[in-house]
Amino acid sequence: MVEIALGTALAAIGAGVAVGFAGLGSGLGQGMAAAGSVGAVAEDPDMFAQGILFTALPETQAIYGFLIAILLMVFGGILGGGTALPVEVGLVAVGAGAAIGFAGLGSGMGQGMAAASSVGAVVEDPDMFSQGILFTALPETQAIYGFLIAILLMVFGGILGG
Amino acid sequence: MVESITAIVTSLGFSSIESFLGLIFLVGAVIGVIVVIVTIKPVLDTFPYAYPNARVRARIGRLFTEKQFSEIIEADDLEEVKNYLRGVPEYAQYVDKYPLEKALDTQLAETNDLLARIAPGSIKPVFSALLKKWDIKNIKSILTAKEVGLSREETLDLMVPFGEISESLEKLVDAKDVTEVVTGLEGTEYAQVLEDALNDYKEKDMLLPLESALDKYYLNNLIKAASNPSDDSTTILNNYIGTQVDSTNLKIILRAKVDGLKYDDIQPYMITKGYQIREWKLKDLMEAEDVSGVVSSLESTDYSSIMAEALAEYNATGSIAPFETALDKYIITMAKNLSTKKPFGVGPIIAFLSRKEIEIKNLKVIARGKREVGFPVSKIKEMLI
Repeated sequence: MVEIALGTALAAIGAGVAVGFAGLGSGLGQGMAAAGSVGAVAEDPDMFAQGILFTALPETQAIYGFLIAILLMVFGGILGGGTALPVEVGLVAVGAGAAIGFAGLGSGMGQGMAAASSVGAVVEDPDMFSQGILFTALPETQAIYGFLIAILLMVFGGILGG
Repeated sequence: MVESITAIVTSLGFSSIESFLGLIFLVGAVIGVIVVIVTIKPVLDTFPYAYPNARVRARIGRLFTEKQFSEIIEADDLEEVKNYLRGVPEYAQYVDKYPLEKALDTQLAETNDLLARIAPGSIKPVFSALLKKWDIKNIKSILTAKEVGLSREETLDLMVPFGEISESLEKLVDAKDVTEVVTGLEGTEYAQVLEDALNDYKEKDMLLPLESALDKYYLNNLIKAASNPSDDSTTILNNYIGTQVDSTNLKIILRAKVDGLKYDDIQPYMITKGYQIREWKLKDLMEAEDVSGVVSSLESTDYSSIMAEALAEYNATGSIAPFETALDKYIITMAKNLSTKKPFGVGPIIAFLSRKEIEIKNLKVIARGKREVGFPVSKIKEMLI
């Protein structure tokens, strides 16, 4: 059986939380945007490009979660044979994972609802495209906050660059 | 650092830091699950509406604007109106196939059919019940055709090719008389409804009892479909249907009061289980002496102010049209507000259906106006909703 230090195991939990919750929010949001886009394309095939664009927007939260998870795994000693983490650094890793995980969950769902609504607005009135993009981009900020805090926790918590 | 954490953990009564972390993660996991459930629930409620709402909003965008209506009204004759509609994909497919009024009805029926197909599961029964309107319209048309002796072709021109019995319409059209039409409906849900009213029809020698039985069956069916609200959207739909029932009841009572009818004459035509006007209130309204008595009895309901405003015009003209217009406008405003109140739920669907019905009604008004040579444009504009 592979011996894993407690700190490293905590980093693994952090990685799981990061990609799991961010992916959940992103998936729900993207599903909602996709359902709206399919409806729009069914009525107006010219909506395909806009539909793809709005559906792609809630993908970013999953990407942030995925990036943080990879960093935690690499610098936490799970991938690449790095050194095992002490327990207190492992707790920091859980905090970093939770930061992007929960921020990504809320942001992804919010962005999905905004995207689905924007697709509806654009198919009703094509002049609404730029406003739709703007409103849909707004819920991205929460994920960016979560991502930044996760990075800062990793940098100053001794995971990255330490 | 590690020593101080271990000391704190030990002072809390834990034998090791691992057992403390285990508890912390268990608590964290429980909190995480609660957060996820609470956050996801509203999203999951709105999820089924993303697809139908996008389709509906696409169609809202294609509804005629005021400018387009002005262009249609300015048409020189009916043929020019048809030409305009030939340029709109939704209408083009039916305008050359059917007489104009039937083409418009068919377009509306197609809209009802689409909504019944794409509506999310929880509201589907209501939209399926709404689709029965076309069965009822077709049956009424056949009954009227038999009563006034229309030819087979004339009767078929009145049929809207939507609804559950659309495939057996030709057989019904071939029936010799009203009784045979009712017999021909055997095996459908409408047979029993009409058989119950058939004796009344034979006694009074008028279609009203049969028509009224069908209308009552339609609305009761609609109420039944909306009667078990399970979330915000179904509750809103329930209230909207209930308001339509209230409006129908009020219109019947007002017409009856103008004709001087009493409680016993009106009661058979009433549909209970409205939204604001419950059974006891309906009794009060039916027992009112006259139109102003009906309006006073409406106090404490939302209809009070709009009906009181219309009362002045009724007193001046003696026509109940102002009441009917006020009630129609009330429902239109309600549908419009629902779209902003519940944008991720049933709101846009109700708003679209309401606006589509108004569009069809207005196009029919224009068609009727253009059919009469020299009918003034200003008069048509006045008649539009």
